[in-house]
Amino acid sequence: MEHEMVEKEVAQKSMFIYLPISIGSALLFFLAATLTGDYPLVARIGGTIWVGLLTLIVSMPIVISRIKKQLHGKLQ
Amino acid sequence: MTEALFELSLPISGMTCASCVSHVEGALKELPGTSNVVVNLGTNKANLLYDPQRIKLDDLRRAVEDVGYAITTSELTLDVRGMTCASCVDHVEGALKELRGIQAAVVNLGLGTARVVYVPGVVSTSAMKHAVREVGYEVQERSEGVDALDRERQAREEEIKRQGRNLILAGSIGLIVMIGTFYDMLGSLKVFVPEFLSYKWVIGLLTTPIVFGPGRQFFVNSWRGLKHGVTDMNLLYATGIGAAYGIAVINTLFPKAGFGGEGATFFESAALLTGFIILGRWLEALTRGRTSEAIRKLMKLQPKVARVIRNDKEEEIPADEVELGDVILVRPGESIAVDGQVFDGYSAVDESMLTGESLPVEKKAGDPVIGGTLNKTGAFKFKATRVGKDTSLAQIIKLVEDAQASKAPIQKLADWVAGHFILGVHLLAVVVFLFWFFYGYQMFFDPNSSFIMSPYKLGEIGVFGFSLLLSVTVLVISCPCAVGLATPSAMMAGTGKGAEFGVLFKGAEAIENTSKLQTIVFDKTGTLTKGEPSVTDVIPGHEWKVEDSNLAMTSWQIETVLRMAAIAEKNSEHPLGEAIVRGAQERGLQLVDPVSFNSIPGHGVEANAEGFDILLGNRKLMKERNVDFSKLISQAEALEADGKTVMFIGLNGQAAGLIAVADTLKEYSIEAVRHLHKMGLEVAMITGDNRRTAEAIARKVGIDQVLAEVLPQDKAEEVKKLQAQGKKVAMVGDGVNDAPALAQAEVGMAIGSGTDVAKETGDIILIKDDIRDVVVALEVARATMRKVKQNLFWAFFYNTLGIPLGAGLFYTFASVVISPEIAGLMMAISSISVTLNTLLLKGFKPSVGRGHNPKRGSGSTQLRPATASVGND
Repeated sequence: MEHEMVEKEVAQKSMFIYLPISIGSALLFFLAATLTGDYPLVARIGGTIWVGLLTLIVSMPIVISRIKKQLHGKLQ
Repeated sequence: MTEALFELSLPISGMTCASCVSHVEGALKELPGTSNVVVNLGTNKANLLYDPQRIKLDDLRRAVEDVGYAITTSELTLDVRGMTCASCVDHVEGALKELRGIQAAVVNLGLGTARVVYVPGVVSTSAMKHAVREVGYEVQERSEGVDALDRERQAREEEIKRQGRNLILAGSIGLIVMIGTFYDMLGSLKVFVPEFLSYKWVIGLLTTPIVFGPGRQFFVNSWRGLKHGVTDMNLLYATGIGAAYGIAVINTLFPKAGFGGEGATFFESAALLTGFIILGRWLEALTRGRTSEAIRKLMKLQPKVARVIRNDKEEEIPADEVELGDVILVRPGESIAVDGQVFDGYSAVDESMLTGESLPVEKKAGDPVIGGTLNKTGAFKFKATRVGKDTSLAQIIKLVEDAQASKAPIQKLADWVAGHFILGVHLLAVVVFLFWFFYGYQMFFDPNSSFIMSPYKLGEIGVFGFSLLLSVTVLVISCPCAVGLATPSAMMAGTGKGAEFGVLFKGAEAIENTSKLQTIVFDKTGTLTKGEPSVTDVIPGHEWKVEDSNLAMTSWQIETVLRMAAIAEKNSEHPLGEAIVRGAQERGLQLVDPVSFNSIPGHGVEANAEGFDILLGNRKLMKERNVDFSKLISQAEALEADGKTVMFIGLNGQAAGLIAVADTLKEYSIEAVRHLHKMGLEVAMITGDNRRTAEAIARKVGIDQVLAEVLPQDKAEEVKKLQAQGKKVAMVGDGVNDAPALAQAEVGMAIGSGTDVAKETGDIILIKDDIRDVVVALEVARATMRKVKQNLFWAFFYNTLGIPLGAGLFYTFASVVISPEIAGLMMAISSISVTLNTLLLKGFKPSVGRGHNPKRGSGSTQLRPATASVGND
């Protein structure tokens, strides 16, 4: 029970970090693609989704494990 | 930040009284972050509240140990299914280690097990299982012995079946997708293929069940892991397959989106990628089971039934119900159920499966028998001396399992690399995408370029489609599955191979260390030599004759010299006297009782028998009694120079001959040392003997360095001195007296332990008393590490070559890129090639001859005229 509660807290706190990171980098990509070249809309949107997804995949485990460590001092 | 205090109930061992309670309480209370410490002597528990932010469980353990007690830990093995790579190992270990109360967690990818050391009461088995399930794996508690074997086999067969079903589905539909995609290139074969198969939406419809049927496992598993903050290879596959499928769908719905236009589909990429990945999984499941064959062979040896005689009645009972002291009847062709001692009957038993001895071993009353071995010829009864987990077979299985579950230092590094690799690969995929999107496409894109092994021209593909394809290919081609398999598969095969020859490695680290050895130090007595003196030479006096005697001796009758000496020593308890008596008996000489006998302390004995005054002793005794040995003195000195103890025998005041006694070499000592030299190793000998004796033995065996006059307690120090010279040292000894030296050496080898392996110290246990097994151990270790290195090379070779290829590095000058499905095929081949390479170890045979069965202590002496030199010289 106690473990599950901690896990839930970790998930919530982490989400507030990795989601902004992913969305932020995706938007940054969109902005860069819009400003730097004549890219079709499909390419810009597709690229934004892809960059956002990969950033999410990279940031999720990093952030979650950091928060976990912070939250319960590695539990031991 | 949470300031939660957690309640703990720690099991404490070693408490006997109230003062123990106060010691433990005091130790725990002193720690920061603990409160409400109550120690209960009755329950042997310490209950307390603690703040995990301020103190770790390990600190509590240390505090309790510092005051002389211990927190009791238990060990548990979990069967974990669904692990495919080194990062899975990391995740499962990580999930377990995060739980409070887990002291250690070691996951073995090859065996599919997690061995956990935990504090009972602090963490439960169900919590461990829950934690493992949470990160996406199936788990169950492992049971012992045959049951575990059945379960493991069942699980493996299920996995093979499951992936086989997936493969049939993905393969067969994938083939149709392939045919449909390349319909235009079929030429005259088109008549056999309906045209509608080439319609994009049909191809899409056919691909969808592949991606969401057999491919579903990758999405489900990666999501489970991801939401707990872990990434594994499933994620690489899922993003690869998902992206390929996504591109295909978009291109079908929006042909102008820049993914190749009307002519391209990309559904075949998604279908074949899924198919190849599943092919890899299926082949891996097939071959991985074979690397752990040795342990299964051992488990299969465990007999299921025993024929026990209880109340004068013979009854068949399950082998695990045999109790200590039970009388068991074994008939020809039957397996021996448990360990015991023969008290009736005679037979020959095949022990090759446990000791590696190729010939059956004779068993008569008083001889020990080992459970799991096979009775060949006769019937006999024996009394059970070790049952259940205490039997030799159970101990050997446990030892091999533990060794296979352990990690070599090289594996820890490989796991770390593979564990962090996946995140790195995703980062690389972002970089590759950004590079080709913002720069590469504009600079290098050539519409006439194509994928390797593909008919497509990339002509109509847009900037996003091109960049995305390369990004996806990087994800697929970087999969470190082969890296994760490289070391554990070879270690499992190596430890199993060792066990086959009676060489038990206690861990993967022992294998790695053994492969790096430079110097082998042998303890002399009991290791290189038999450890008991025996007659080596008998030299009769040249001119000695007794005309009127019924002995009618001539100078060549050395048997008589030995017989008279043995008669004189018949009642002696001196080791040298016993050796002479034993030597005479081994030659079948009749020994009468002496008429009179007198021991001369420190000098020898005198006796009278068959009308002779026999005087047997040292040179000083002969001088005192004026027996002239001047003509034999040079031979006596030569024998002494060889490290032998010379006994002088006088009959009726005349010099009758010399008898040399020495600790003789074991049968294969010289052969073993010769092989070690061939392997480029330095061989040293350590002994408490004087230097002359030690050097004489060393010369015979071919030892490079002699460490003589070393007291037993100083042997470890001598090993340390060799290590200080920068040498990697192995110590070979009997494992009892040499324990400190065995522990000091990089590798300690306990030789001749028999099958009571649990009691042995050392990193390697050589079951047989055959010194050549040192060579076998080294050869197995070297062969295993060779395989590890080859495997790691191939694993990294694929990735090193694949990543730049996938990232489009060669596109800048060769205008070719690799497609995701070919990347998937390459990765499947990489793990298969690594596993197949490991399987080559199955054919390993040691270079030393193992065709015959040396009997312990047999070394029967051969008497020769004049100088009868015996033993192994």
